[in-house]
Amino acid sequence: MFATPKSATRREFLRDSVVVGAGLGLAPWQYAAAASPFPDHNLRAVIPTAAGGASDRLSRTFCDVWSKHIGAPTEFKFYPGAAGQVGYEIYLGKNAHDGYNLLLGNMDADVIMYVLQNPPYKYPQDYIYFCRLDSDDNVIFVPKDSPIKTIKDLVALGKKQSVTVGTSRLPHPGSIGMLALAEATGAQFNLVPYGGTNKTLNAVITGEVLCGIASSGMAMNLLDQIRVLSVFSDENKLSGLMGGAPAINKVLGTHIPDLPSSRAWAIHADVLKLYPERFEKINTTMKATFLDPEYQKGYIKTGAPWAAVHYGDREVCAKHAGLMIELTNRYRAAISASKKKA
Amino acid sequence: MMQWDLTQALALFLHTLGYWWVIIPSVLLGILVGAIPGLNAANTIILLLPLTLAMDPEVSMFFMVSLYCATHLGGGIPAILINVPGTGGAAASTLDGYPMSLKGMGQQALAMSFVAATAGGLIASIATLLLLPFLSRIGYYVHSVEMVVIMLFGIILIAAIAAKNMLKGLIAGVFGLLLGSIGADTIYSAPRATFGFLELFSGLPLVPVLIGLFAISEALIMIEHEIVASKTGAHDKDAVWAQTLEGIHMAAQRWWHIVWTSFVGLFIGIIPGAGATIASFVAYQQSRMYSKTPELYGTGHPEGLIAPECANNGVGPGTLVPLMAIGVPGGDTAAVMMIVLQYHGIVLGPRLFLTTPNLAYGVFIAMLLAYLFMLLTILPMTRYLSRVTVVSSKYLVPIIIAFTLVGSFAPREYGFDMVVALVFGILGYLCRKTGFHVAALLIGVVLGPYIEQNLMRALRISNGDASVLFSSTLGNLLWAMLVLTLLLPWLRQWWVGRAAAPPRA
Repeated sequence: MFATPKSATRREFLRDSVVVGAGLGLAPWQYAAAASPFPDHNLRAVIPTAAGGASDRLSRTFCDVWSKHIGAPTEFKFYPGAAGQVGYEIYLGKNAHDGYNLLLGNMDADVIMYVLQNPPYKYPQDYIYFCRLDSDDNVIFVPKDSPIKTIKDLVALGKKQSVTVGTSRLPHPGSIGMLALAEATGAQFNLVPYGGTNKTLNAVITGEVLCGIASSGMAMNLLDQIRVLSVFSDENKLSGLMGGAPAINKVLGTHIPDLPSSRAWAIHADVLKLYPERFEKINTTMKATFLDPEYQKGYIKTGAPWAAVHYGDREVCAKHAGLMIELTNRYRAAISASKKKA
Repeated sequence: MMQWDLTQALALFLHTLGYWWVIIPSVLLGILVGAIPGLNAANTIILLLPLTLAMDPEVSMFFMVSLYCATHLGGGIPAILINVPGTGGAAASTLDGYPMSLKGMGQQALAMSFVAATAGGLIASIATLLLLPFLSRIGYYVHSVEMVVIMLFGIILIAAIAAKNMLKGLIAGVFGLLLGSIGADTIYSAPRATFGFLELFSGLPLVPVLIGLFAISEALIMIEHEIVASKTGAHDKDAVWAQTLEGIHMAAQRWWHIVWTSFVGLFIGIIPGAGATIASFVAYQQSRMYSKTPELYGTGHPEGLIAPECANNGVGPGTLVPLMAIGVPGGDTAAVMMIVLQYHGIVLGPRLFLTTPNLAYGVFIAMLLAYLFMLLTILPMTRYLSRVTVVSSKYLVPIIIAFTLVGSFAPREYGFDMVVALVFGILGYLCRKTGFHVAALLIGVVLGPYIEQNLMRALRISNGDASVLFSSTLGNLLWAMLVLTLLLPWLRQWWVGRAAAPPRA
């Protein structure tokens, strides 16, 4: 009744194998995997500063809300050291360029580091900044009981004698601001690096230096100890919180560019070509997070002022990074031991 | 700050005591964390950030403060028993604590150190509570110039440690200073001697260096012996409570020593960036300088253990002074605490004492309670902890190496740091076998960067004028004390020689 099955010849076996293999290759689940929704697992954020710092706090606050929009939580890895270069090298050298890996950097300081330390990666060919989270203006401040009452007093003093200015580090947007101020007014400022904003604040409050430069977010917690003289921003968004401190260009008639300390998300540059839809989703959902009231609530809870939150898209980030590169090269001799221009 | 009467103070004390369910577990955790080289309060608090951020502000603050205090005490346990400091602040405790263990007095040494540590912490906490407005002013007078001189007190300890072979001691110290110069310079952040290793940009990582020089090298030495305790020291293998009581009595006899070395720790702790390592070495040096028997230091002398332990624990309350009084954290752990409190919407600084006095003063009362609970929980353990010195090396060495390698990885999570620990382990072993003191090398590595930072900063402020180093009254007073410290051994020798000389006929 049933025919005895014929043994396949070698040729027939090979032919049938190819047919089956091609069928499997075209099987629906292949398309399903490629078309699986992004993201289908956790995202990863590299942070080139130590855990427990301001970037840690900000990234967690942001990602708590962003995770609802993008549909996946974010894991954080911290790689401090070498002014951020360690984190960038690990991100660019070891993390997959698949859109699941992001970096949250202190954009201004990291660009300064990039120019001065000449690392083995290239901006913007290897990575781009695409979403600025905040824009924390740098402010000039003095102790509360200082005889220097205004920024004009400080500049006038600087024209008579060298004024000591405490700063976190020489390669820092605030330091560049003071150098630009010196250039614009003819005042003499002697920048003294303290290796951190907290130490800088302490040095100014205890009177070791006459004034200091720091981000407004750090300074505003100590307004009963310090007086903010001016802000390196054309628009002092936190004027009310800074005791009415004016924007520097408005008072002195100078044209010093805005010099905030801002944090921005960065991504591998080739993700835009390889996975444009993934990048689009990340970009869109991050922008939506800024409009989410939960983000505002969470941000304010950290003690930072909501007015410092300032979304910046790719264009804004690129423009600002370009400005920092230009300024760093301009003041390289004053902020770096290397006098050679990049 | 608020004016308190006795009733209010008592009410606050009882209110804080109500958080015993937070303080006791965090004390126990802190002792464990302190005892494991590589782990410290800062990275433990960071690991537990999701927990502390979710807690009530008072609960989270009392938790962090109790943990922080307890790590200082915990660091002394392995330092005394197996010559492996659990924290940087316990490095100086090895100088006399470990020789006591070798002589079979490990239990007494532990008991003495626990009493000294808790007494030091209690004294510093009470002093801080009562003198906070005064103590907060210290920061206004101690700047870069004064810090240079204070660090030099620690540096001259190299000479004291190396008294038996001055040349080797100086070579080790200078080598340590050279190693300490690795990394980005203070002013321009230009990398020096990093050989292209990014991981060295911020300098040699202290924890792996400490672990290598002390823990791994000690483990390699232990391989050559059956147990830690010497043959004469191990004859009495059954530890008895009498030895714990003996240790307590030895500490009680030296109560004045405990008091003044606690204040050394407190004052140094107030200075931002100074830290427990510096405080313990400076206290040891000062203790030796004023001792009637300085030649006994390094041989298992009780004062040589009490001084660094008191200073190490006196630092804790001190580091919170700039944080609470000004709002600027004095160290890494205080910085993390500040971030946790800011997350809860609490702004630190003098206003805190008016807006939330329960929290502000409660912090220091929590410290008091933490030290009391510490003493009650850990003292009974001395009898059992000291048995480590008679555990066979074939079990102890692998455990030490495994834990310490993990400890060297923990702070930055770089495999590179484990290699650093191993390299310094071999270096430390070679030093021990050839008569070079690893503590002298460590002092150079730890203090060198601090001296450079402060010196460069002072010279930068003065536009390169070296006379800035003699421009402040306090600085000049410290210089005078430093010169006296250097001359004291000869003065003493001359005085003793003169007193012993036979009268002229």
